[in-house]
Amino acid sequence: MTTVPVPAPSRTSVARGRARMRLRRGLMAWAFLVPLLVLNVLVVLGPSIATVYYSFTDWSGIGPANFIGLDNYVNAVKDPAVRDALLHNAIWFVLFLSVPMALGLLGAYLLSQVKRFAMVFRVLYFIPYVTASVVNAALWKMLLSPDSGIGHYLGTHHAWLGDTATSLYSVNFVVDWHWWGFLAVIFFAAMQSVDPQLYDAAKVDGANKWQQFKSVTLPGIRPTTIFIFLMTIIWSLKAFDYIYIMTHGGPAGSSEVISTLMYSQAFNNYSAGYAAALGMSMTVIIGIVLAVYSFLRKKGWEE
Amino acid sequence: MTGSTIDRRHLLASVGLAGLGVAAAPLLAACGGSSSGTKGTGTGTVNLWIDITGDANQKYWDDSVVGAFEKANPKITMKTSYYKGSDLRTQVQTALQARSGPDIVRGPSATQTIAWSKANVLADLTPYSKQWNWNSKLSDWALKAFTFNGKLAALPMRVDTMMIYYNKTLFASKGWKQPTNRSELEALATEAAGMGITPFGSSNVDWAAAAEWLMTVFWNHFSGPDALYQALTGKIKFTDSVFVDAVALLKSYFDKGWFSGSVQKYFSVPSAEIGANFGKGTVAMIPQGEWYMSNVGQFFGAKAGNNNAWDWMPVPSLSSDVKYGTYALGIGGSFAINSASKNQDAAAAFLNWYYGDRTAALKRMADVPATYNIPINFKDSEIPSSADPRAARVLTELNKAVDSGNYGYVTWTWWPPKSDTFVYQGFEKVLTNAMTPAQYCQQLADLFKQESSSGNLPQMMPRKS
Repeated sequence: MTTVPVPAPSRTSVARGRARMRLRRGLMAWAFLVPLLVLNVLVVLGPSIATVYYSFTDWSGIGPANFIGLDNYVNAVKDPAVRDALLHNAIWFVLFLSVPMALGLLGAYLLSQVKRFAMVFRVLYFIPYVTASVVNAALWKMLLSPDSGIGHYLGTHHAWLGDTATSLYSVNFVVDWHWWGFLAVIFFAAMQSVDPQLYDAAKVDGANKWQQFKSVTLPGIRPTTIFIFLMTIIWSLKAFDYIYIMTHGGPAGSSEVISTLMYSQAFNNYSAGYAAALGMSMTVIIGIVLAVYSFLRKKGWEE
Repeated sequence: MTGSTIDRRHLLASVGLAGLGVAAAPLLAACGGSSSGTKGTGTGTVNLWIDITGDANQKYWDDSVVGAFEKANPKITMKTSYYKGSDLRTQVQTALQARSGPDIVRGPSATQTIAWSKANVLADLTPYSKQWNWNSKLSDWALKAFTFNGKLAALPMRVDTMMIYYNKTLFASKGWKQPTNRSELEALATEAAGMGITPFGSSNVDWAAAAEWLMTVFWNHFSGPDALYQALTGKIKFTDSVFVDAVALLKSYFDKGWFSGSVQKYFSVPSAEIGANFGKGTVAMIPQGEWYMSNVGQFFGAKAGNNNAWDWMPVPSLSSDVKYGTYALGIGGSFAINSASKNQDAAAAFLNWYYGDRTAALKRMADVPATYNIPINFKDSEIPSSADPRAARVLTELNKAVDSGNYGYVTWTWWPPKSDTFVYQGFEKVLTNAMTPAQYCQQLADLFKQESSSGNLPQMMPRKS
């Protein structure tokens, strides 16, 4: 019996097949990527490029824009309102980073000790976070009124939002109040993943509750803490809604941060080009923060 | 494993190029500013965004304005979208810049409309004005305020003035008379404060620009309309002592606790609370615009839990150089047509109906106090008898003021945009001692000079000799 030899595929046809496969896979990957890319290009990249362009112009927010070089950036450096706003951002950052984090950790630890009704507490902690900022802010505006708010009934009559010395701290208090419960629930979830045997071992070694928290809980939730830390930094730099609703950055700029100043410049002062320059400056600051975070992460800070 | 399907460098390069391409289109469009609208057929749907709040007010607009128009013009359908006042301007401006937005633009005041007009986002209304003879129907001064470079950019929406609302029952019970000059006003304020009654209620919590209402009062009734006219036409500067002293006088009233009890309370007590206290009689007077007339009633009477009544009086003369019965005049907002609208004729038809049907316009003024006070020419005798006497008195007093030349200038109509913003933002610094009245006026003068040299001023309502 004779057999007909099957011709071996030539090198060229194998290469063509592989190329077709690569092309097919490439097209498929693009098909998955395109919707999100288009969305991002439209709502992020496009306006971002426009913002870079406008930051070098005298654009009023409507109509044509004239190129003015670095004038907006030079003016921003000289502008005392920008300096004040940056200082307020720094104060905001320190408070927003420390108070809700500390309260969140404490709340999470207390939650982890509760054996009954834990879900009820979690829901209660979460309510301020899921309530719309407009509602929270409007509510607290009334609660902080010197004539009819909490202070009035406690006999202080202090105008928390109307006093330049307390306006920023008062708004920050409200934001911290809305935020800490969320952090508590996140930390609580992270604490659940800590190996219980570590606590048992610590107890055997004679560690008290604080030592257990410091030496077992905190290291165990380190990646979550670092992530929350980073996000809190970014969120603190973006602070806008509560300040805008509760004080508009006032009185007399005492609670103004960069984002509210940008809004005011763009829409009240018809200086959208200047506002764009302020926005770009904030982007650079946030970029530096992210770069530092990435650097530390590479160095194993999260481990 | 075969090689990666998309090379990372190529992916980034492609995304970058696509991004630039997509971004360039709106960017160039934004810079272009060319009109792409059409006159349309004079029929179809006309979109309008407006800042009318409250169910009753919106129902009135739907039924008595839009409904009445559609009945008279069955081929045109009006589609109204309601926005909150402080949000509307930014939303409209953003939409106009993107060559989008409503057909009829509920615009800002005269000076800000200049910026929109310069950007070519508003259609020229001059041909419509000629076609329907709007010049004979609307007040000349109000039309001129919205005419730039010979083009009518918008139609004035509401005549604004400042007045003093007072708790009539409280005044009667204390035997107080309406003050007509500064010494009477200060004596009244001193007496009220001594009794634990706040003389003046005011707050910037719900409207950040509230301070400009107060500056309008003090500059018009202390410095005087003549001085203001000279400053606004560049003959004198805002650093003149007559303006600085007005700021200092207002600040001194705040420092005495006459306004809202304290500076801090002015910054923190919501206006509804001030209104409630006004109704109860723990606040004696509220310096406010005529628009407040549509809200003030809610704080009085059985619904508010009191038996008190309100009324209003002219702002007392705060200087011997200013006549009692002077009214600061201006325009609160405007109606224009989007230059990108595809249905400009139908939009203009609505405007013509709104301003041209005098009987309907006067009825609206009578139905809703102060809200629909468009600057049309009419005689006092034409005001419908159904009008609240207090609202009717505003109309007759303003007619008289215009005829006699006894009028001044509100900041939000006659000041250029940045200067106007500084009027209220800077005054917060004066109140908190971060700036002296002299520094405040110096900064205002600098800003005003810069803006007026750019041609950002409306045609001023001239003084009558």
